[in-house]
Amino acid sequence: MDIAEQQVDPNRKITVDELNSDILPVIYEIIRSIEKDHHDNTVKTRESQDCSLRVLELQKRLEQVRSEIKLLPGIEFSKEQQLSNLESLKTQLKLKQKLLQKYRFLVFDVQQS
Amino acid sequence: MSSQISTRDKLLYIVDDIELIAKEMIENAIAPKHAKLSGADYAQLTELLVAKDNELKDTLQLASEQADIDKKMDLLKAEVDRQDQDINQLQKQLKEAEQILSTAIYQANQKLQSIAKANKRPVSSEELIKFAHRISASNAVCAPLTWQQGDPRRPYPTDIEMRLGFLGRLSDPVNGHLLQQQNSLSDIHRSGHPGGKSKFLFTLCELFTDGFVLEIPASQPNQFAWHPSGEIHMGVGQGSVAMDTRNHKQENEDVEVMSTDSSSSSSSDSQ
Repeated sequence: MDIAEQQVDPNRKITVDELNSDILPVIYEIIRSIEKDHHDNTVKTRESQDCSLRVLELQKRLEQVRSEIKLLPGIEFSKEQQLSNLESLKTQLKLKQKLLQKYRFLVFDVQQS
Repeated sequence: MSSQISTRDKLLYIVDDIELIAKEMIENAIAPKHAKLSGADYAQLTELLVAKDNELKDTLQLASEQADIDKKMDLLKAEVDRQDQDINQLQKQLKEAEQILSTAIYQANQKLQSIAKANKRPVSSEELIKFAHRISASNAVCAPLTWQQGDPRRPYPTDIEMRLGFLGRLSDPVNGHLLQQQNSLSDIHRSGHPGGKSKFLFTLCELFTDGFVLEIPASQPNQFAWHPSGEIHMGVGQGSVAMDTRNHKQENEDVEVMSTDSSSSSSSDSQ
């Protein structure tokens, strides 16, 4: 079980600003370390170990981004769908207010027969 | 509209694409020289990666705008929920009002029907009062207001009153003149009715119909008085006139019942 997943509460909401979406630097580091050609064997071994660590870090980073995306609020629909939902909600509110207005102050005419 | 994918899915797809491209690039980097991609291909791959990263950032910007819209929607939803509660409350109150009004209308209709029914056959209040007075004058409906425990008065003729009546003094020689009167009457009837038992019954019947008038001492000085002979006598001037409230046949039946009925509860009460 990934520790990062355990710490994440499914009801928690985060903003886009909190989300860490810098994946490219990690990839760049990996490729750079691979392409570095060391003549020294010990340095090479160390570099290859660092490289594998960086690959793991990349995987972790990607998983973290995915889980954080799932915590972002308001992205269940596309922008257009969301706007149309908003409009229908506004209409619903107006209709209900009108209904209440109509029946709350209803005046009964008593017929004088 | 429904074919549009959600922003969340879009973001996840972009991340998957970035992962794939990164994997390609790393594999290419570790691959032997003969398996490596050409420079142009590698450059293309790199550009694609950068483009995907930019797309990710743009989509994240869109997500932040959607988050703001979502906050507004939450406020609206709270408002709508409040309106829903108010509507439910109003509905309950209207339902209650409708029930009360329908009950009131039903009762009012019933009252109108009874008014119409009463108007069809009007009865004068004088007559009603007259009958109510007759019914209650003998104190059979309700005890006199001054009645207490130990008061000898009863709503029916007690045995003392019966003994003081005509039947009770039938064998009394002092009462002879009345008895003679009765005998003359019974003679007239006897000629037409040879039966012994029927003679007895008729005599009793006469006793009731021509009844000895005995005023009850405790009676109020009003027009009507109930007498132990079983009749109502209306006071007219100084005398009293017997009023036929029952027909003679009914009296006969009563007499028969009384004569054959051995058990009598009245004697136990007059103490």
